[in-house]
Amino acid sequence: MVVRIRLARFGKKHAPFYNIVVAHARTARNSLPLEVLGTYDPIPKPPRPGDTHGRPWKDIKLDISRARYWIGVGAQPSDTAWRLLSMVGILEPKYRIGKIQGEVIKANSAAKSMIPELKPTGETAKET
Amino acid sequence: MAARRDEEKRAQDAKEEDASLPPETTEDLRPFPMNRHFRSQPVLSEQLREAIYNRVAKDGATVALASVEFGVSNERVGAVVRLKQLEKEWVAQGKTMALPYSKAVLNMLPQTPYIDPSLPENRGKRPIPHESINDLIVHPATRQQLFVPVAESRQFTRVDAGKAFQNDLLPADDRIPHPELVQAERELAAGLSHEERLRLAEKRFAAIQEKKKAEEAQIQAELASLKTVPKRRWDFVFQDVSVEHAGKDGRGLKGVGWRYGFPHEDRKKGQVKIPTKIEA
Repeated sequence: MVVRIRLARFGKKHAPFYNIVVAHARTARNSLPLEVLGTYDPIPKPPRPGDTHGRPWKDIKLDISRARYWIGVGAQPSDTAWRLLSMVGILEPKYRIGKIQGEVIKANSAAKSMIPELKPTGETAKET
Repeated sequence: MAARRDEEKRAQDAKEEDASLPPETTEDLRPFPMNRHFRSQPVLSEQLREAIYNRVAKDGATVALASVEFGVSNERVGAVVRLKQLEKEWVAQGKTMALPYSKAVLNMLPQTPYIDPSLPENRGKRPIPHESINDLIVHPATRQQLFVPVAESRQFTRVDAGKAFQNDLLPADDRIPHPELVQAERELAAGLSHEERLRLAEKRFAAIQEKKKAEEAQIQAELASLKTVPKRRWDFVFQDVSVEHAGKDGRGLKGVGWRYGFPHEDRKKGQVKIPTKIEA
């Protein structure tokens, strides 16, 4: 059976809180997992006191070496778990939104750079 | 105390010139005519609060030391420092202050002024105490009357008295806000020389500073052990934990995460939900 690294939702209504767990893929979401690797609190906390220009932050507790072990033996992270694990460098990011956006911008600017070659001729035509 | 406060107020008003009103009388401090027992109590003036903040935050004095120096209770010093810090943060963030409101409210209340010792006219003047700072707080365990039979041959000290009320209750000497003042008086009574007392006081102060520094270092070390990943809207802060802490049955108290097979006790009797502590 496939072993997955996934999130199990605990917490209350409008106050989500997740356990990052290692569990068999076909067991219920909140059933007893093989192991609890950590927690993920998706509600952003305000900047710490004394931190004038601080940013809000999300609290994640994770046993990094253990997560690395489970990946090594073939556990399959869910998309969300993949995103979290890639932040600490256990996995390569799955969706590189920033990179894709960068590529789009680069392609756009490349396409625009093609146009100015035509523009001067148009302007010269106007002048004459 | 009140007389000196009035005197300072009069001097201040004379200096400002534009004070068209005479200083307030006791009758003026009774804002509710039907309630004859209510008197407005003095509040800290803006300058005094600024001075307290500077003494604690800039000079690094302990709260207890600032409390003794300004004659303001420990709790009030702590509150002033926290609120001033918040105010400075807001100013740095470009938020606007409700200054007209604060000024209007402060004008309606008697204030404890700040005696700036750096000014030449204040030479030799002592700060005006805002309140009594070394009052023993009544512990709930000591509210009952006790009759404890004690053998005449036995010494019954304050430590024993504390224990008679509750086993872990400290004696009154340790529960007062400023035991170091009593200590200083004891040294004076013991006939120690000025240099000797100064040396002892400095030793105590150094010990406190050392402790404070160690606490600060521990907090910094904890923050440094966190791994922060900045993303677009917020930072993701990772704390490395160990799955071993959960123990064999996965229910260890140090274990991380929501526990399995264990009811959530938030509706149980006696669960405190009001925050008892604010991070400062």
